[in-house]
Amino acid sequence: MISGFSLLLWAGAVLCWIAYGVQVSQAPDVPRDNLYLGVVLAGVVILTGCFAYFQEAKSTNIMASFRNMVPQQALVWRDGEKKQILASELVVGDLVEIKGGDRIPADVRVISAQGCKVDNSSLTGESEPQSRSPELTHENPLETKNIGFYSTTCLEGTATGLVISTGDQTIIGRIACLASGVGDEKTPIAVEIEHFVHIVGGFACSVGVIFFVISLGMGYKIMDAIVFLIGIIVANVPEGLIATVTVSLSLTAKRMAKKNCLVKNLEAVETLGSTSIICSDKTGTLTQNRMTVAHLWFDNEIVSADTSEDQKNQSFDQSSVTWKHLSRIVALCNRAEFLAKQEDVPIMKRAVMGDASETALLKFSEVVYGNVMAYREKNKKVCEIPFNSTNKFQLSIHETDDPHDKRFLLVMKGAPERILDRCSTVMLNGKEVPLDDSFKETFQTAYMELGGMGERVLGFCHLLLPEDEFPDSYPFDVESMNFPTSNLCFAGLLSMIDPPRSTVPDAVSKCRSAGIKVIMVTGDHPITAQAIAKSVGIISEGSETVDEIARRLNIPISQVNKKDARAAVVNGMQLKDMTDSDLDEILRNHGEIVFARTSPQQKLVIVEGCQRMGAIVAVTGDGVNDSPALKKANIGIAMGIAGSDAAKNAADMILMDDNFASIVTGVEEGRLIFDNLKKAISYTLTKNIAELCPFLIYIIVSCPLPIGTITILFIDLGTDIIPSVSLAYEKGETDIMNRKPRHPKRDRLVNWQLALYSYSQIGMIQSVGAFFCYFTVLAQQGFLPARLINIRVSWEDKNDQDLEDSYGQEWTYEQRRYQESECYTAFFVSIVISQLADLIIRKTRMNSIFQQGMLRNKVLLFGLASQLIIAAFLSYCPGMYDALRFCPLR
Amino acid sequence: MTSVATQLERCRMFIENECLTHTPKTIKTEISYTLNNEGSYKAFIDSIDLFLKQYDDDQQTNKMKFEDCKDQPSGYIERGQYDSSAGEKKACTFNRTWLANCSGLEDKTYGYSLGKPCFIVKLNRILGYKPEPPKNNESIPLEAQDKVQPNVIPIHCAAKRDEDISKIGQINYYGMGGIGGFPLQYYPYYGKLLQRQYLQPLVAVQFTNLTLDTDLRIECKAYGENINYSDKDRFQGRFDVKIQLKSR
Repeated sequence: MISGFSLLLWAGAVLCWIAYGVQVSQAPDVPRDNLYLGVVLAGVVILTGCFAYFQEAKSTNIMASFRNMVPQQALVWRDGEKKQILASELVVGDLVEIKGGDRIPADVRVISAQGCKVDNSSLTGESEPQSRSPELTHENPLETKNIGFYSTTCLEGTATGLVISTGDQTIIGRIACLASGVGDEKTPIAVEIEHFVHIVGGFACSVGVIFFVISLGMGYKIMDAIVFLIGIIVANVPEGLIATVTVSLSLTAKRMAKKNCLVKNLEAVETLGSTSIICSDKTGTLTQNRMTVAHLWFDNEIVSADTSEDQKNQSFDQSSVTWKHLSRIVALCNRAEFLAKQEDVPIMKRAVMGDASETALLKFSEVVYGNVMAYREKNKKVCEIPFNSTNKFQLSIHETDDPHDKRFLLVMKGAPERILDRCSTVMLNGKEVPLDDSFKETFQTAYMELGGMGERVLGFCHLLLPEDEFPDSYPFDVESMNFPTSNLCFAGLLSMIDPPRSTVPDAVSKCRSAGIKVIMVTGDHPITAQAIAKSVGIISEGSETVDEIARRLNIPISQVNKKDARAAVVNGMQLKDMTDSDLDEILRNHGEIVFARTSPQQKLVIVEGCQRMGAIVAVTGDGVNDSPALKKANIGIAMGIAGSDAAKNAADMILMDDNFASIVTGVEEGRLIFDNLKKAISYTLTKNIAELCPFLIYIIVSCPLPIGTITILFIDLGTDIIPSVSLAYEKGETDIMNRKPRHPKRDRLVNWQLALYSYSQIGMIQSVGAFFCYFTVLAQQGFLPARLINIRVSWEDKNDQDLEDSYGQEWTYEQRRYQESECYTAFFVSIVISQLADLIIRKTRMNSIFQQGMLRNKVLLFGLASQLIIAAFLSYCPGMYDALRFCPLR
Repeated sequence: MTSVATQLERCRMFIENECLTHTPKTIKTEISYTLNNEGSYKAFIDSIDLFLKQYDDDQQTNKMKFEDCKDQPSGYIERGQYDSSAGEKKACTFNRTWLANCSGLEDKTYGYSLGKPCFIVKLNRILGYKPEPPKNNESIPLEAQDKVQPNVIPIHCAAKRDEDISKIGQINYYGMGGIGGFPLQYYPYYGKLLQRQYLQPLVAVQFTNLTLDTDLRIECKAYGENINYSDKDRFQGRFDVKIQLKSR
């Protein structure tokens, strides 16, 4: 309520009251126009302030609903017994117990742990669960395994820990402090509005001072001249505009909320529109955030699988016998299980117990096989070795569902090279053939190809155990491994990836045509990052990195001209050693950049680098560690699903569906609102001249006042409000997503060009039209224009009851007053009518009115109608003369 | 401008209601002076002087512009179209001596020095307006009924408040033929462009016996079929004035 715009209104209100004070001190019975005007101005500020407050309170409420309403509890040892207390009551030295599913209530040093794994992703960005144990493994507290961090989640196992810090002293707390320490940058729209206030204020003050001097020169009393000065300044204040801006912003915020963008800060709506760089996360934002089988390799052939969000069946050729075997391994050698009672949930949406790869495989086989759980039931598992990092394979032995075949089936999956080492034969087109070197080579090529696509590759093999050696009752023992684990039969490879969301490539290309640079910032491996970047178009087809050019030309990297490479993949380790100028160079030289293996802290560095180039940066983030970057960015976008509370707090906007495409919608809305605000402002500014001119003419020519203050208020806050708000409903013009983002210094919301066009072109036409009406009304009644010059003093003399007009008729004061009201009304109607036309002019900036369509914006049509209805009501409703000095025009 | 002016002539609108105004002018309808202090009423005398100057005989000698319309009220004098096709129109002379004691010819102070102040009352000029005399006596107070004549718009002044009735004393009216009213032969008015020399008929009202040192509210009213009164415009068809005559 005290930002630039409101300040202007407050100043206007105070000036009004001063003017009124001056007037009263001179003559106690002056009309109260100035007093009312001041009150109305103050009222407008307060009302719009309240409106904005409620709007933001609404989004704050949504924010609050994110937070877990149940206060966090901690299980703590006190006085020799376990107690459940509030996490906020913990003190350093408390001994707490943590089990799977708990949120760690404070920073703790683990003193005992059983298979404890924590999810530190919100803090460090690592998405893999981290194990916790009592040993000190690293000097850095963030790296060591014996510290559990406040607000991270314990995924499995149990642990006992000693509280070492609480509240703001925790790592998270310190980051939160850091985030609040990062200065709040002014939003671009706030800057624009300030600039606009400068223009309007400058114009008002200079006109005011000029006419102050003129009126003094003309022999007005100094007090009168001051009242004039204030009058001129106040006449320039666009009373209705602040309401229009607020309403437009909240309308857009509402519209964006429907498209899954929750806007916390109203002004951020526009910021998104001026964004020139988007630093986007990969996981979950660009991708679907779930591993999915992308490729298969069997029978020496790579086939690709469907990775879209709602796959129902796989379309590749499934007739091969090899495939039958391979799919059996995939289905059986898997520990993941669907949670119960999800039969009617689409396969892809079902909840699964198991890690990401196994989930992907389970869902994949469910799609190709049908009911996997039932299939496993028929092929009972007799023995199993789960995956571990030393073996790098997973093995299980099953009875088969073939009643004539009593042999056990051994299935194994794991790291492809390890699996191949254990194989002596390979299945090709359904036949087992010996594994030779040439196959090994084709295997290598396929493996490299799949790995090069950034995919996680798994190898699969099997063996039917001979019946004589392994009869029905054979006691399989995992510890002694009393079964063969080599000389198996290789079946094929499956590769998995977290596939891009299907809407993303389109969104990225939209960004590109809109001149927005999309930078991917991820903690993932560079190859994976690059593969995803390529598949979504962040690195476009034909773009090469320096490395790729070097490889192609077979020259050392140092000889490659860096400017030839459009794309760049920067590793977090490289970034660590870079100076600011190195980073600037990368950002400048490469159009398509991927930052891989970056820590959330490095995000801040990247954001600062972009901002140094003068870009307006949007950043997406979900982790706690992202919050400084989110704060630092011109617009921070937090993830609604994956995002932590700290990130949501620091962000200006929340993506409810974590989808990158929603950002692009937001950009479009942001640009639209900038355009529409521009339209609304130029619409609103136009009539300022038509409202100011009468006053100037009144001072200079000393004629009856053409339009009264109250009447002006009824234009600004009456007839003009709905039309200017209706411009916020205007659809985007055709080029909206095809032009460059606006330059924050050059493409202003209000520039002199716009001001001049509004003020001196349309405004002048409007004024001239209105003055024509004014003179016509007076002339019709007997006062020809020539008679009006210098008539003011006797016109306004309450004791002059026989003022002569051009025809010698005599007018009493009351008759003149009524006549003046008729002028007011005529002037008012004239402005309203020309504003009708002005509204249609402002409908478009670039498009022709026919392209834009006259009837598409229903609200605008309503605005036009409302203008007429309000004007007619004010003019023709009985009693208006006494109340507001409107009178019916004859 | 003239062509625009003639254009406008056709679609002109006229003042809707006749107003009754007076000289000297009052400030917020109040007028007060001290009997023996010439300075306190000099401004009133000056303004009446100024106003009546145009009614001097030597201003009305041009026979091309003025015609003698006799000294008894008679009917409207129509002078043709309201445009310049027939040239300028003549106007009726108005003899200042008709205002008798209030003419300022003998008593240069218009009675102010004697404590018998005069008000010069006129109907505001309206283009083409023809006031219609009252058809009957019903709406007219008893004392004024004798003034009702066929070609006269009578005026009558009386105390506004009942308690003032006895304090106002006798009121004398001077006008054409000694009648307190506006004769119709001066109407209609053809406007400044055609009838620059036009003199509207006057009536002088003299309060001869005002109680001293009291606020007296007096209302003067013109009576006619097309004369209306309004609460908003206090000069429409009537005016009221607060007079205080101070002895010291």
